[in-house]
Amino acid sequence: MTELERSLVALGRELAVPEVPDLTPRVLATIGPRRRRLAAPSRRLVLAFALVALALLGATLAIPDARSALLRIFDIGAERIEIVDELPEIPVADLESTLGERVTLDEARDRSTFPLRELETPPDRVYLGEHDTVWFLYGDPVSPRLLVAQTPFVRLDEPALVKKIAGEGTRVESVSVGGARGVFLSGDPHFFFYVDENGDAVSDTARLARDTLVWSEAGVGYRIEGDFGTGEALELAESLRQRR
Amino acid sequence: VEGRPPDDAALAERARRGDERAFEELVRMHQSIAFRTAYLLTGSASEAEEAAHTAFVKAWQALPRFRRGAPFKPWLLRIVANEAHNRRRSAGRREALRLRATAAHPRGDAAPSPEGAAVGRELRGKLLDALAKLDERDRDILTCRYLLELSEIETAEALGLRRGTVKSRTARALERLRSEVGDD
Repeated sequence: MTELERSLVALGRELAVPEVPDLTPRVLATIGPRRRRLAAPSRRLVLAFALVALALLGATLAIPDARSALLRIFDIGAERIEIVDELPEIPVADLESTLGERVTLDEARDRSTFPLRELETPPDRVYLGEHDTVWFLYGDPVSPRLLVAQTPFVRLDEPALVKKIAGEGTRVESVSVGGARGVFLSGDPHFFFYVDENGDAVSDTARLARDTLVWSEAGVGYRIEGDFGTGEALELAESLRQRR
Repeated sequence: VEGRPPDDAALAERARRGDERAFEELVRMHQSIAFRTAYLLTGSASEAEEAAHTAFVKAWQALPRFRRGAPFKPWLLRIVANEAHNRRRSAGRREALRLRATAAHPRGDAAPSPEGAAVGRELRGKLLDALAKLDERDRDILTCRYLLELSEIETAEALGLRRGTVKSRTARALERLRSEVGDD
């Protein structure tokens, strides 16, 4: 340890930290019974639903005719991002059940264990899902335009991701999202996700929308799914910020 | 002992299953480090109390997803650090680190430690000034590693970084601090 490091440790021991309040009574008075998640289906079942629903979502977004109708919905600084709208209705199995418990945006902010990032445009629906993932859905479950997911306690494992999905029709492009490393996936909708703090994969191979931008920053994994190019995805990502 | 009480994991497991008394014990055991962490990251006692309180409440809600057998403290400190960052940003207090050092009584000691004696009043002031000038990332990593004396692994978990990133970022932050202090 250098002299500077020793000085910092000594400083830490000499800092005037106020007396620690007893938080116990207030915490106990606040917590109450835990909220239950959705009917608690098994993870395997949820994953199966997710694969089916997201494959359908991916297929929907890949329909050429569906791309003809555009709606300008996202204002980012002086620019606007065009996102596919008015997709044909399809029998999406039950997208909502794969996303989690539907909550309000305020509730998501309150219950999230990490600072949520938001686009300037509020989402149409918000869900709390597995691994404390917060989902923002733009559009509705049968006509989704954009999905934004934020998952705490995970990081992007780029080498594993690239190793798993490179080739096989999936285009993988390394990008920088405001200085954080990320990956833009397009082509075949294969997907390998994050690893958690123990190094375990949070989600294995899955099928999502056609184009997906994934990155992680400060212990939170982010992904944006929709029908966009790299530039648009990056602009959306960089406009995703804390707004409270 | 490995840095945490032997019943920490057992309490966390009971709390994970909904045992409020076990969670109460966890709050008592960890409220000091939670508050201190929040205080050093926000520089405000009232913000630190709110951040620590909210973090415990969120931890309770998130416990069903807590990995069985994992250490509770770093997991909790990550939630605390996130809350503290959130409050610091909402308060527009990014640059304000309003910490001060005590004159003569290091924490937990009746008399100054040998290290404390070595850190003179002037150097303490310079270090605090220099820390306040660092950007948020540098200051947070030095706060965790040295002021809170967290290990590299604990710092990595608390700040959501890889261990290697903690190592490299700490080295860079120390360099910048050294140049601010003018100590080479």
